[in-house]
Amino acid sequence: MAKKLHENICEEALFNSLFKKYSNDLYNFLHYRYGEYLNPKDKTQEAFIKLWENCKKVTPSKAKSFLFTIGNNLMLNEVKHQKVVLNYQKNKPKSHTHESPEFLMEEGEYMQKLQKAISNLTEAQRTAFLLSRVEGKRHKEIAELLNISTKAVEKRIYGALKKLRETISEL
Amino acid sequence: MKKEDLITKWLDNNLNSQELEAFKELDDYTELIRLDNAIKRFKPNHFDTDSELEKLNLSLKNRTQKQNNWLKPLLRVAAVITICFGFYYFTSNIDTSIKTEIAQKESISLPDESQVILNAMSTLTYNDNNWDSNRNLDLNGEAYFKVAKGEKFTVNTTSGSISVLGTEFNVKNRDDLFEVICYEGSVKVESELHSKILKPGERFLILDNIFIKDLTVIETNPYWINNESAFKSMPFSQVIAEFERQYNVSIDVNNINTKKLFTGSFGHDNIDVAIKAITIPLNLTFTRNSNKISLKRE
Repeated sequence: MAKKLHENICEEALFNSLFKKYSNDLYNFLHYRYGEYLNPKDKTQEAFIKLWENCKKVTPSKAKSFLFTIGNNLMLNEVKHQKVVLNYQKNKPKSHTHESPEFLMEEGEYMQKLQKAISNLTEAQRTAFLLSRVEGKRHKEIAELLNISTKAVEKRIYGALKKLRETISEL
Repeated sequence: MKKEDLITKWLDNNLNSQELEAFKELDDYTELIRLDNAIKRFKPNHFDTDSELEKLNLSLKNRTQKQNNWLKPLLRVAAVITICFGFYYFTSNIDTSIKTEIAQKESISLPDESQVILNAMSTLTYNDNNWDSNRNLDLNGEAYFKVAKGEKFTVNTTSGSISVLGTEFNVKNRDDLFEVICYEGSVKVESELHSKILKPGERFLILDNIFIKDLTVIETNPYWINNESAFKSMPFSQVIAEFERQYNVSIDVNNINTKKLFTGSFGHDNIDVAIKAITIPLNLTFTRNSNKISLKRE
């Protein structure tokens, strides 16, 4: 059995490398799951502060699940089960455009429908789906991140897609 | 390949070129691609790992500095404890003082069950702390002591000190008079010039800085604790001073010779009887005007 290199993560360099490795993922996870009203950036910071405070008890291999659990709990402490509404980036207005005003209006309507449809997804569906579609992560990576099986990820994402399409066509 | 599988594979970003072609042939292709492109716009603002890490390290640094501030609350606690302890120390070392006014007697129980009866216009000061190992008190005036057995018991007066182990004695320390009478056991009296060990019934007396030769007493306790002042060959001035202490009056002696010796007593209950008791034996008359008494030779 390979001897563990580090028993804990109380070393600054190690801790910093963990931050570089997980902070973005944690941020995305919190953002897609709970939206940005609850400050996923701050929660990411807080989760890492908690990790540092408990650095003696956490081995490097456990750091990721520690961070995600803490981040999730921090959110749950505040979340009041309101609808999570994610913002999309507005297309930059082009100075010369071939797009007709009708097309632009239609496009705007579509985005609003999509926004509503996304907020209608369950937290689990939304997180997995957006990690896949927006972040372009493979199912395997998401499974690792969320500590679930690849099959479950597949199900969540496929289910999310189906629900989105249904909601959009209904609206 | 089924449509569902194709879509799943597409969702996993895992289509090979052949499958991709098949996927493009699907009826849903346009819709899916439109949806997918739109979805991409939900990407949050860029997460700058480096600047976030910097922020984190900064707040961690502040936190450790805060943790170093444990010294401050600790100092606060220490200050409170010091004040409390100091206060306790101060109050526990404060002397207990008992003072009697004119015509007042006070019976006091010391911490070791020793009894003290304090005559009028007297002050007794002692310290409760360590009483058992340090029986020491200051007296100004007259008091009768019944000392419980134990460590050395010392009474300090301006004229001298009296030390005993366990006995009964009376101390009278007035202006120019220092008198100790032993009623039981033995008493050691030390003044500046004289030192003597008294046996029961013996008296130590210094009057106007003159040591008076022994005179024995036969009573088993002083008269005054039974509300009577008795004198044996005492200058009349001492009698008058005691009278003034017991009755809150001022006595004008005019030109009477107050050095004349007086033997006798007066009670503390009735001023009319008492004034007669000290004037008639010396052939004096008196006139009384509220708290002023004027004496005259007959």
